[in-house]
Amino acid sequence: MPDRSADLVFTNGRIYTLDRKRPWASAVAVKGGRIVAVGEAADVAALTGAVTRVVDLKGAMMMPGIVDVHAHLMMGGQAELFELRFPPTASFETLIARVGEAAAKSPEGSWIIGGQWGSDLLPKLNRLEALAALDRVSQGRPVMLRDDTYHNRWVNSQVLVLAGLSASSPDPEKGSIGRDPATGALTGMMIESAAGIVERTIAQSGHYTEEMDRAAMARSIATLNSYGVTAFLDAAAMQPILAALKGLDDRGELTAWSVSAMPAVEPSFMFGIAGDELIALREQYRGVHAKPDFVKIFLDGVPGARTAAFHEPYTKDPVLGCCFRGSTIVTVPELIRWVGKCEKLGLGVKIHCAGDAAVSQALDAIDVVRSFNGPTKLKHHIAHASYIAPDDVARFAELGVVADLSPFLWYPTSFLEGHKQTMGEARALRFWPNRDLLAAGALLAGGSDWPVMPNPDPWDGIEGLVTRRNPSGEFPGAALWPEQAIDVATALEIFTINSARAIGLADTVGSIEIGKSADLIVLDRNVLETPAEDLADTKVLTTWFEGRVVYERA
Amino acid sequence: MSAPDPTSDARIPVTILTGFLGSGKTTVLNRLLRQPSLAGAAVIVNEFGAVGLDHLLIEASEEQFTLLDNGCVCCTVRGDLVATLKELDRKSQAGETTPLSQVIVETTGLADPAPILHTLMAEAELMTRFRIGGVVTTVDVVNGAATLARHSEAAKQVAVADRLLITKTDLVSNEALGDLQHHLEHLAPAVEQTIARNGEVELDLLASLPADAASDVARIAGRLEAADHHDHACGPDCHHGHDHHHDTHHGIRSFSFIIDKPVEWSAFTRWLDYVAALKGENLLRFKAIVRTTDDPERPLVLHGVQHVFHPPARLDRWPSADRRTRLVFIVRDIERETIARTLVKFAAIDAASIATPALAAA
Repeated sequence: MPDRSADLVFTNGRIYTLDRKRPWASAVAVKGGRIVAVGEAADVAALTGAVTRVVDLKGAMMMPGIVDVHAHLMMGGQAELFELRFPPTASFETLIARVGEAAAKSPEGSWIIGGQWGSDLLPKLNRLEALAALDRVSQGRPVMLRDDTYHNRWVNSQVLVLAGLSASSPDPEKGSIGRDPATGALTGMMIESAAGIVERTIAQSGHYTEEMDRAAMARSIATLNSYGVTAFLDAAAMQPILAALKGLDDRGELTAWSVSAMPAVEPSFMFGIAGDELIALREQYRGVHAKPDFVKIFLDGVPGARTAAFHEPYTKDPVLGCCFRGSTIVTVPELIRWVGKCEKLGLGVKIHCAGDAAVSQALDAIDVVRSFNGPTKLKHHIAHASYIAPDDVARFAELGVVADLSPFLWYPTSFLEGHKQTMGEARALRFWPNRDLLAAGALLAGGSDWPVMPNPDPWDGIEGLVTRRNPSGEFPGAALWPEQAIDVATALEIFTINSARAIGLADTVGSIEIGKSADLIVLDRNVLETPAEDLADTKVLTTWFEGRVVYERA
Repeated sequence: MSAPDPTSDARIPVTILTGFLGSGKTTVLNRLLRQPSLAGAAVIVNEFGAVGLDHLLIEASEEQFTLLDNGCVCCTVRGDLVATLKELDRKSQAGETTPLSQVIVETTGLADPAPILHTLMAEAELMTRFRIGGVVTTVDVVNGAATLARHSEAAKQVAVADRLLITKTDLVSNEALGDLQHHLEHLAPAVEQTIARNGEVELDLLASLPADAASDVARIAGRLEAADHHDHACGPDCHHGHDHHHDTHHGIRSFSFIIDKPVEWSAFTRWLDYVAALKGENLLRFKAIVRTTDDPERPLVLHGVQHVFHPPARLDRWPSADRRTRLVFIVRDIERETIARTLVKFAAIDAASIATPALAAA
């Protein structure tokens, strides 16, 4: 008779399953990385054998691992492991000194990549004197430094040579190359799309090896694990990201379920092949835990930069005039073709829509596809479901579109202050109608958009969903559209089972049920009994992925 | 763009002769080429595989045909087809050959005729000298039913045809012929069937192909309506019910719509864009004559093959007293209901103005 003993049994827990049929349990048994029993002590007793590891939870709260429906993983890990870090408040002198130290320690010819300098330094760096100072300390190594918006780069003369740039090089479309006003000589400042020129030079130089990419990805995932995240969707997965996820998975080193969204068009902040060419490669990057099952489409920009597409105009602007509404990057017929093509390939589509007109157009396109194709099991996402025309709220549920709630901007932030300037206060505050979406039956899924948020801590987000007040204590007394607050039980669903449904993994993750992956987290408190304003203080004590400890709080 | 009057259309018709392997295409072609009316015809034979065996069987003089020896026209030699047609035209105009009266493209047995039609439709320059004469598909009565059941490519060749040519009829009983004809009526109710005996085509097959697109649409819509009516009028003893051959049709079906009220053209083209984008692959053939709100006395004629649409042609007058919009669809795995629903939703067509022959007949 085969051994029925579980590998692992948890007892004496306050286990919140996120399974509505059985919300609470005190014991869980795990075998082969899967949950084999959920219930009380008696239910796991028969499965507890001589080799079974028994973990006494001592009354601690356990719940399923968090599912982050929107994150960008590689960049954070690369920055932590391989890049020169300095705060945006660093002075010009500090920045030059830090590059000098790094150059002294790094081998000849190797790249020095760093960030982020405050964008208020841009006029000072965009001068030949500044470039000369940078060249003096870099000792011939190529140096590239990113700014805090991630839109601009400052490079030294060595990089200009490697990139084949000179005073006669023209500015790229939607970008500019910094030049000395008197001589036209290049200053090393690469603005907006010009940043892509030097980023591509780095990518083609082979600076980032596959080993480095895997290490960076593993570091990012370790960070996610530390906050209790055991499944995520990478919202702009270029080839190195797909390769790193597959590489880790093949080595048994991937400690989360990963779903990837391959960009339909090369994004402004990442470089390499995209669209059909990238999508065609997806099966070679599929692994047990690595699923390239989505395509990402950017439909507009962001409200703070007046690049999001709205039904109503932005406030008056000296350049854009009185009546600018922003615009979409992709037309509705193009979007229809993309969604139709993705459905044929069995891929979901995540559509970036920051303005309400972009949301309307995405819904219109999906409405056309649904009308022709009928129902589908695929999930399409509108990211970030934030400014939504009232008439569109009900369409999310009608069309089966997922409301991707990311990043954690559901409370007053500096982003919101920026929106007030570009949109006027009254409109800016109609931000994240979460309760309305919920009441209309939409599937709401939680995401961080890390590194847009400085860390992917879902507990910050969960408090924000419940209080609509900034958990850090910034903006005291202010709440963002408090009528749209939701309760903590719903917020937990949004970050677990709902996100699992959204990324197509509801049969595997998102709740503690028999047959699902043993992705379990132990918390330092019962979050259902914690005062709302303390939710963000929640700490994950242990994170289990497929029945293995992948994070333990020191 | 205005469609030339078919009787005075001087363009050279290009007929695509297709049919599954062994269905008798080459025999038919050999016999056709002996007919006096085929003087001045050019034949483009498109071979499958490295060795051009078929062309050895064609008893035609050297200058009458150009052989493409480099494989399947549908996927590899589309550019060559264009070049070959242009070269034939040049030679004819320069007096290097007898004046060109028509072109027959014989496809490989496996060829999907749609890309050949796309090639012709997409070449505006070519279409000033040539017009699409039609698709003739051979089906042999001995193996036809089995081939159609087994190979979706064969079913598609039949479905997109303008004319079906049934071959090898001398080898089987009249009953077997009747069964096949019945089968074909269900698979391709809009398509006329012609019977060849010993490879002889009794009526002048090519000359009888519809040159006039408008009356072609009207005729097909009429046939489909009649076919629908026939099915629904079927009594309890009926052995050829609607779903009788369903399993062997590979999801291919034909249906038509008749719309009483004039159509708003901008909305209708938006709908066409959506159909092409989302269902193009399965829209095997689409033909329409459309009464538009802006110019109701001058109908538009449309022709689409999968995602490719011929530029709409505006006729100077209606071909008959029936001035209703008629849409004909030959599709794979597209429900009639999907077309009806999306026409109402996106083409601004009033649901009440869409006649549904099936319901009317029930």
